[in-house]
Amino acid sequence: MKDTYILAFESSCDETSVSIIKNGHDEIATVVLTQMDIHALYGGVVPEIASRHHVESITIVIEECLNKAGMKIEDIDAIAVTYGPGLIGSLLVGMQAAKTLAYLYNKPLVPVHHIAGHIYANNLVQPMEFPLIALVVSGGHTDLVLMEEDYSFKRIGGTLDDAIGEAYDKVARVINVPYPGGPLIDKMAFEGEDTYKLPIPLDDDSYNFSFSGIKSAVINLVHNEEQRGNKIIKENLACSFQNRVTDILVKKTMKALKEYNVHNLIVAGGVAANKGLRSKLEKECKLENIKLCVPDIKYCTDNAAMIGAAGYYAYKLGRTADLNINSKANDSLK
Amino acid sequence: MISLLLDTSNFKLVVAVVDEDKNEVLSYYNEKLNSDLSVKVFEVIKQCIDNANIIPNDIDKIYSITGPGSFTGVRIGVTICKTFAWTLNKKVIPISSLEVLASTNTNYELNVAMIDARRDCVYAGVYDNILNTVIEDRYISIEQLLLELKDKNYILISDDDFENLKKIDSKIDILKVINKHKNDVGVNPHSLNPTYLKITEAEAKLQTKNND
Repeated sequence: MKDTYILAFESSCDETSVSIIKNGHDEIATVVLTQMDIHALYGGVVPEIASRHHVESITIVIEECLNKAGMKIEDIDAIAVTYGPGLIGSLLVGMQAAKTLAYLYNKPLVPVHHIAGHIYANNLVQPMEFPLIALVVSGGHTDLVLMEEDYSFKRIGGTLDDAIGEAYDKVARVINVPYPGGPLIDKMAFEGEDTYKLPIPLDDDSYNFSFSGIKSAVINLVHNEEQRGNKIIKENLACSFQNRVTDILVKKTMKALKEYNVHNLIVAGGVAANKGLRSKLEKECKLENIKLCVPDIKYCTDNAAMIGAAGYYAYKLGRTADLNINSKANDSLK
Repeated sequence: MISLLLDTSNFKLVVAVVDEDKNEVLSYYNEKLNSDLSVKVFEVIKQCIDNANIIPNDIDKIYSITGPGSFTGVRIGVTICKTFAWTLNKKVIPISSLEVLASTNTNYELNVAMIDARRDCVYAGVYDNILNTVIEDRYISIEQLLLELKDKNYILISDDDFENLKKIDSKIDILKVINKHKNDVGVNPHSLNPTYLKITEAEAKLQTKNND
């Protein structure tokens, strides 16, 4: 069978990334230009600044990727691009670059949902086995997705308010941990003890999550302790917070696996790198005989390789688009 | 020498294909946007290229209107132009959106092009009748601009609406713009970037904080 090469674009937040993926699983070349250091100055991603940096670097990133792969656009079968969800100004830059190349080289344009990309990051590690449950956890997303076969997504639950990564970053800010605080909170959690009383977030029968309550609880707790003149033991607070949020994520994920009688679990998104979450899932999956797949850290954060992996399957299913497709800040995974 | 001009800077879409040797506009589109720019732009580019009876690779040179104007609008046009020019190894020449407005032919000494920048401010550039820059493009309050123009023989040109301000709509003279810039050396496509004339609010706040 002839090999299929996808040239993929990802620019939904603060990473400008271009990748070439062969047959949905072989990474030929990927370039990721992150703006993290720039946004750290502002304590979070500033959408207008992100968009400005995307347009400055987009062609340089494409060129570097092609050079790395030793390929030309003529060698590519289709062009995949994250159409959403994400920051609209940022998404639009990747979209225009992808459309320009699709138009000039007469290549099919394949729009890819950002979350489909995060899920397919796993396919770059090992072939995905169906049916599976995907737990997608990042700065912008917290979703439980059931997949019966390739490129079929059924969202069975998700956050009703803040994304998990967002809650981590906000808690980090309250206790003066620098942006992006998530990874540091995770590290601190292992150095502390679970001593603070924090509520369990949305412990019900649904597959939905809510992290705004525990976030407010942390803010109130820090505020009250400060007023009383008590010092916050940051490591202990990190540990208490991390336990509460990861416990509920693990509990609902394991419940979904059981109820849908699924034996494959994949974790995706930036927070998949969280060691607390990983170790709890590893333990539970071992007990329940579930096959767990967590991608390498480099595939957990935003990158175009995952878009190329997902884009391959979308392309094979004929899910291409005309040049009049728009980027979408919000769109559900279908 | 065939060239393509793309202006997406201010809620209008302008696309032109020009034969520079014959000094002839082969196809031209200039409409207010009723739908999203991102939805419309390729349909129009393709239509203009097809109507000019050429293929994209026949284009030798791209004139990219790099702003100021709508940040998102400018980015869409600039991204298309830089990707196009980079990948097919074409020459790319940046041009101010205000200069394009100022190409409108008038009987005044100075053509003052303006784009609404909200909060009683505009992006404004002052040009003479052959598109020489008289006052550089900048971000300025309407009040200040009018004060500076006092006693001068000028006309305000803008496609935006302003209360209590006498102005005319633009009537772009594409060939005038292209003739002015046809001998420009152009820029490396990688370094083609929007002209915003305004830093972001976050940057402004950070600067203020650092100055305190």
